[in-house]
Amino acid sequence: MTMRLGIEGYLERPQFRLDLCLDLDLTKPLGVLGSTGAGKTTLLRAIAGLEPDFEGRITFGSERWSEGTRFDLTPTHRRGIGMVFQDGRLLPGKTVAQNLTFASRRARAVVSSVSEEEVIRELDLDHLMAQMTESLSGGEQQRVALARALLLRPKLLLMDEPLSANDLGHRRHITDCLSRWLVADQTPLIYVSHAAHELAQLTTQLLTLEGGTVKTLGETARLLPQTHAGDQPRAHRAVVVGSDLGQGSLTLQWEEAAPFAAEDFHMGDVVMVRPAATEDSSFGASLPPQAKQDENETE
Amino acid sequence: MITGDLQAVALTALLAGVTTLLLIPIASPLAWWLSRSRSSIRSMIEAVVALPLVLPPTVLGFYLLVLLNPESTVGGMWVRLTGSSLTFSFSGLVLASMIYSLPFMVQPLHAAFRAVPQSTLEAAATMNASPWDRWLNVVLPMTLRGYITGAVLTFAHTVGEFGVVLMMGGNIPGETRVVSIAIYEHVETLNYDAAQTLALALLCFSFLSLWAVYRFAGHRFQVLRG
Repeated sequence: MTMRLGIEGYLERPQFRLDLCLDLDLTKPLGVLGSTGAGKTTLLRAIAGLEPDFEGRITFGSERWSEGTRFDLTPTHRRGIGMVFQDGRLLPGKTVAQNLTFASRRARAVVSSVSEEEVIRELDLDHLMAQMTESLSGGEQQRVALARALLLRPKLLLMDEPLSANDLGHRRHITDCLSRWLVADQTPLIYVSHAAHELAQLTTQLLTLEGGTVKTLGETARLLPQTHAGDQPRAHRAVVVGSDLGQGSLTLQWEEAAPFAAEDFHMGDVVMVRPAATEDSSFGASLPPQAKQDENETE
Repeated sequence: MITGDLQAVALTALLAGVTTLLLIPIASPLAWWLSRSRSSIRSMIEAVVALPLVLPPTVLGFYLLVLLNPESTVGGMWVRLTGSSLTFSFSGLVLASMIYSLPFMVQPLHAAFRAVPQSTLEAAATMNASPWDRWLNVVLPMTLRGYITGAVLTFAHTVGEFGVVLMMGGNIPGETRVVSIAIYEHVETLNYDAAQTLALALLCFSFLSLWAVYRFAGHRFQVLRG
């Protein structure tokens, strides 16, 4: 089965224009990165067939999904996709179990190596099954939405910041499971996120968008550190005041007044550290993704 | 209560029941379209649907009489097709009641459909649910209260119909003589006791239906709130 996704077209709205020409090989999971308003969500929605304003051609393998103004040449429900929206979007007035059943009853008839029980267990949903979706926290809703998308056994999985409302512990565990499951079922993935460590762990190719157009497309490992630090990496001196490299954690203290505000950092952000001994080498040495969590100014 | 009055009660219930049942499938797509459409003629259609709320029933009845009598195009076609007239007949009353009560079915449904977020429908579509599937398994469970409100109001409003019936139904026992007409006739013939019985029954019925609607649908119901 070919896993090529072709997108060629545009979408115009007041003060926004998406203009893309992409031929993606989705045998490698794809991450999408870009600042707010860069068009990440719109891209996913166009692929899902939810953007009536999209004009152009979208093909998946040999299937023609959109053509010209017929954005729904293949309507959403026949694309066989699974989508996780940022806000969960669970069906109201139903329990978690009913939401999951809604999906599994409409799943594609394919054999999966990942059982429903495993998905529910690993996403920590066992104890929530009887609850109404309205009573769930944002993080719980996201996990139900994630389980729902997986249970559809989709031939393409689209995820839009699927873990943003979850705590670090859940995020790490879920990305571990996800990467294992997706490999096991060879499910192609497009993953939109700001969280660099999620992108690093789940994806091997990375698309960065800017102002509705493609900025870069390449290997995640190569692109991630540069893109995430912003267009111009900022260098600030900090002193190591504690380290536990066995745990992969480093405690730093700014030499001068803290150059960042507390809200500049989010759990999972990547910070580049360059030991002073290599003063003259080029900027850019970074810790491996697993070791990047707790090293900034928190202490 | 005399046999004639019982017959009027049964006829009224039948008329209201048939009208409600027929209006559900007609009002559903109309209300759905009103809740989703961005068309420029939407507000015009909304106004047309709401007309029976403000129009004197005699005006509605008059136009229906003109439009549906056997000499007219529509009425004549109906006579050729069925052999019976649309005016001064039960089937004509059903048609008139459907127009008369249309806003009472459409408006609660419209409000209920509007409360179904597009995002929920999108999510259902990404779960391989076809439009029908989405309607049956997502929209319907979410709008059941709207349906019940609409059905109760339509039924009750049809029971309370008078002017339209008078204009185009007349007073034929077992065919067009509904409760409100029977009361009117009792008063005309100074039979106040019989009028009293029927009037009280209608009052109680109307109150109970409205009470049920307000209890059940809470603050969602907007027809009487404007």
